[in-house]
Amino acid sequence: AQELRLSHQWSDSDVRHQVAKIVADEVAAADVGLEIRIFPTQSLFKAREQYTPLSRGQLDMTVLPLSYAGGQQPAYNLTLMPGLVKNHDHAARLNESPFMEAIEAKMAEDDVMVLVHGYLAGGFAGKDECITGPEDMSGKQTRAAGKAFEQMLAGAGASIASMSSSEIYNAMQTGVLDAANTSSSSFVSYRIYEQVACYTPAGEYALWFMYQPLLMNKSTFDDLSPEQQQALLDGAAKAEAFYLEEAKKEDAASREVFEQAGVEIAEMTEADFNAWRALAQETSYKAFVEETPGGQELLDLALSVD
Amino acid sequence: MDPLLLGALVAVFTILVLFSGISVALGLLVVSAGFLIVFDGMRSLELMPEILFGKLNNFALLSIPMFIIMGSSIASTRAGADLYEALERWLTRVPGGLVISNLGACALFSAMSGSSPATCAAIGKMGIPEMRKRGYPDGVAAGSIAAGGTLGILIPPSVTMIVYGIATETSIGRLFLAGVFPGLMLVGLFMAWSLYSTWRSGNMAVLASTTYSWREKVEILPRVLPFLAIILGVLYAMYGGIATPSETAAVGALLCLVIAMVIYKLWNPADLWVVLRDSTKESVMILFIIAAAGVFSYMLSSLFITQSIAAWIGTLDVNPWVLMAAVNVFLLIAGFFLPPVAVILMAAPILLPIITTAGFDPIWFAVVLTINMEIGLISPPVGLNLYVINGIAPDIKLKTILAGSMPYVACMVIAIILLCLFPGIATWLPDAVMGTAI
Amino acid sequence: MAGTPGITVAKTGGNKFLRLVAAISTLAGWISAGMIVAAVAITCQMIFIRFVMNGSTVWQTEAVIYLVIAATLLGLPYVQRLRGHVNVDLIPIWLAPKARYVLFVFTMSLSILIVGTMLFYGFEYWHFAWERGWRSDTVWGVRLWIPYLALPVGFALLMLQLVADLIAVLLRIEDPFGLDEFSGLDSRTTGGV
Ligand code: NA
Ligand code: NA
Repeated sequence: AQELRLSHQWSDSDVRHQVAKIVADEVAAADVGLEIRIFPTQSLFKAREQYTPLSRGQLDMTVLPLSYAGGQQPAYNLTLMPGLVKNHDHAARLNESPFMEAIEAKMAEDDVMVLVHGYLAGGFAGKDECITGPEDMSGKQTRAAGKAFEQMLAGAGASIASMSSSEIYNAMQTGVLDAANTSSSSFVSYRIYEQVACYTPAGEYALWFMYQPLLMNKSTFDDLSPEQQQALLDGAAKAEAFYLEEAKKEDAASREVFEQAGVEIAEMTEADFNAWRALAQETSYKAFVEETPGGQELLDLALSVD
Repeated sequence: MDPLLLGALVAVFTILVLFSGISVALGLLVVSAGFLIVFDGMRSLELMPEILFGKLNNFALLSIPMFIIMGSSIASTRAGADLYEALERWLTRVPGGLVISNLGACALFSAMSGSSPATCAAIGKMGIPEMRKRGYPDGVAAGSIAAGGTLGILIPPSVTMIVYGIATETSIGRLFLAGVFPGLMLVGLFMAWSLYSTWRSGNMAVLASTTYSWREKVEILPRVLPFLAIILGVLYAMYGGIATPSETAAVGALLCLVIAMVIYKLWNPADLWVVLRDSTKESVMILFIIAAAGVFSYMLSSLFITQSIAAWIGTLDVNPWVLMAAVNVFLLIAGFFLPPVAVILMAAPILLPIITTAGFDPIWFAVVLTINMEIGLISPPVGLNLYVINGIAPDIKLKTILAGSMPYVACMVIAIILLCLFPGIATWLPDAVMGTAI
Repeated sequence: MAGTPGITVAKTGGNKFLRLVAAISTLAGWISAGMIVAAVAITCQMIFIRFVMNGSTVWQTEAVIYLVIAATLLGLPYVQRLRGHVNVDLIPIWLAPKARYVLFVFTMSLSILIVGTMLFYGFEYWHFAWERGWRSDTVWGVRLWIPYLALPVGFALLMLQLVADLIAVLLRIEDPFGLDEFSGLDSRTTGGV
């Protein structure tokens, strides 16, 4: 049987591993002479070093936060932009929109295609105080997940310390950081609830959504037989439905874990959300449009999705 | 081909290539390239520079050159001698005070240097001639320093612990703390043996001590202050919220350079260049092995060897302690031939899944592994510390140094056994300071 | 290794080519050491900005990483010249001088071949990043061809030094593996922690 290699950075209990596994299992069950071998926990490539081999056909598939490749295709930075996505259902509508078509056209330039769309959300945690609106960030040392968030938080008067999500726990414990922003699942898996006083999970309003699709090398896909391609697409459809449901559950689950640990839970109001978005327009959106050819059109496309 | 068989083939070829005398890093690249070409196709060669660069693309690696600079800048001053002399004046009433103060100085110096040869050289330059002058047996004089020097990689900071932390993605702050009590335990064992063997040699004269006046005892103290300042400064930066462990190393390097220049008058650009040259040489060598081992572990993973070995061990119905004993024997043998960094980098991706599957704590295992590597540093054929001692005291025969070191190897084996019986010796401190592991 | 007396350096025996290569490798070594010093300085500056000034530190981490990578790759030829790349020389020591000579030519050729491979594909990777205008995915957004340049340059210089080392042995200026006919256990090249 032909073998495809799929690499990702997460443990095998993570939802993104399960998404990959559904596709692999469905393809195996279809019995079309195709097998997907999954390399989890960065055991093949490091997290940020997967896109290049994918685009050069040295890696067949990956589950990847697309913004990691934002230095290669600046348009991808829109897939981790504050306030662009309001909630998970809105994210699902974005996946079907002309905006996503434009992003997929950029991927095609690099010989990359999407099998499974999916967004995951995240929130904020404060060591001593709650973080809901921009005024809460002023003067704090913080770590942000993604370039656009760094720009926005710096605009709110925060100081940015760059580090990986695995370093948040220690940095909070020793007091290097006052606040952090990352995904719901990272907040739980790195046990940040042991170090913070207040958590602002993704709720009715959430600022932080990251597009993390299952990608495939396009030429590799095109070289497969029609039956094999169909089996992949069928598996992907099933995985996508699962991904959306699980993404919603993760936010609620993280809220529960923090609550049980005795951490105060704060809510982001509509007024907070609008204040953040107004700030983002002056900072991250502006920077994006300046550095991306055709950036304004792409941004308008994304903002036009209801 | 069956991945396990393939794994055996990789092992055989790696041994053959490394024993040809090629440099370790290039040898790992050669083996990786060979297997990738045969089993993954020519195109996988394209990936090698990319993976090599990617392995170095890690902020934590900064701490390697930094801790090496710390060690070599202080080793090139008389700080080690001061430390040693102060301990000697204060411990003089203790029977065998001289060898005790030498080992104590090794332990303290280790707390600042991340490297074993630096510790060995700094204390040995002063300690070995002094011990021999006072009539200690050559074997004890050389062996105690060779063994005491190995503490450099166990008592934090430690370059090998950093490399382990990077290879296995475990917390470096936690690893450092785990080395403290096992390090002190080893110091205790070393001291016990040194006293016993000196007493047994029948040379009671060395045990009867010279006495120092209180004045002599007090006037030496200020000379130890810069030393304590560095250790406290680094600890405060690391655990007091100023910097992450990797950043702390830079503070330490700067502190050591400044102290070496200001207090120990290391002004001469030529002397400074020697410190920098030696640090660069050692750092580049280690970092290149790290990068090449990254390509090697990509090859193991890509050919599914790592995963298959872990799965295979999982199916074996053996007692975890039998497994641990086998792992230790393997590490010992590897340590006889290869520098610690290379062993850790080559073995960690294979051993870690085995260790965790069998229910052992990776932090505890880091300590056991490090002690294994310490044994390698004072045993033939390439025990680095033996050659450092040989350089310092050329008139002591290598055979005498080696024979003198062997009892200390036994102390290390006892330490490993004690750690197996009481894992808390390693895990208690990190858990107490940083909370239970994630 | 740190703090120990004596250091082995590749011999040039007055040969012009060998002296030129030695000079290039030494220059690369100075640059490498300078980069390590710069990394110390930048890290300390970062801690100062963050801890004392409570300011943003956006570019420092990345700059330090690239400096350490470049220091490693550019340092390769110099460390080769100082015989600092650790090896297992048990077999070379045991072999008779003739066999040792043959083994040396073989391992050196193998070394040059693998370094040549890394140079070729390293150049290709650098060129790829340059042609496509890749940047890092951070606020700083470094043009990646700049740090990637260390790959082809470092490996090219290492290859040059390796070729020089091979030539030095072929011209009998240097002994294979640095071992003369009477070498025993204590003349081995060692290094490491
Ligand atoms: Na140490
Ligand atoms: Na050894």
